[in-house]
Amino acid sequence: MDQQQYQQGQARPILSDEDLAYTVLADLKRVVREYATAATEANCQQIRQLFTNLMNSTLQMQGNLYNLMLQHNMYDTSSPALRQEVDKQLKMNQQTAQKTQQFLQQQHLGGYASHQYQAPQQQLHQQQNPGVNPYFM
Amino acid sequence: MMQPVTAKELEYLADSLSNEDLLIKQNAVMAASATNGAFRQAAAQMIQTHQQHAQMLLQAISQHQHLAPTQPQQ
Repeated sequence: MDQQQYQQGQARPILSDEDLAYTVLADLKRVVREYATAATEANCQQIRQLFTNLMNSTLQMQGNLYNLMLQHNMYDTSSPALRQEVDKQLKMNQQTAQKTQQFLQQQHLGGYASHQYQAPQQQLHQQQNPGVNPYFM
Repeated sequence: MMQPVTAKELEYLADSLSNEDLLIKQNAVMAASATNGAFRQAAAQMIQTHQQHAQMLLQAISQHQHLAPTQPQQ
């Protein structure tokens, strides 16, 4: 009986391709985070650079594996956010940016702030004139 | 200019080596038992990259070996 189960296991692995790939993907995601933490806590410039390079390389592998899994229908991408939700987030965060700009102006740092917050305000224009790229206005 | 590796950095280097080692083994399982060839091939490629990573981490430790003090500092 045991022997039979073992032989079945050899012919058809216990874990599906999906489970095998997901196990690796989950660990790649974890290792990317660990390299980021290691880089931020490094003292030596050389070691910081090493962790940064390894983080980028691991991130690349994670992206490649994710795409492969996506191609083989192993992933359901989350459904698109509704327009009203995107509008709400945009509006709320533009208001936050404006308040922060006012705060910076009160601290006499306004010149820098208005430069920083140009882009989000111009995106409002883009909603009304979809043909115009705000970054070239 | 190279500085002695800190205790924290050494721990991260060692933890990272364990991570790379685990990923090599997980990919070896996938390379051996995935039914789809694309996944076997991807696993084989990842093994090589993780081996390179492990080599770089080992090299970093060995490069700092001679700078490490033999007595506790202060």
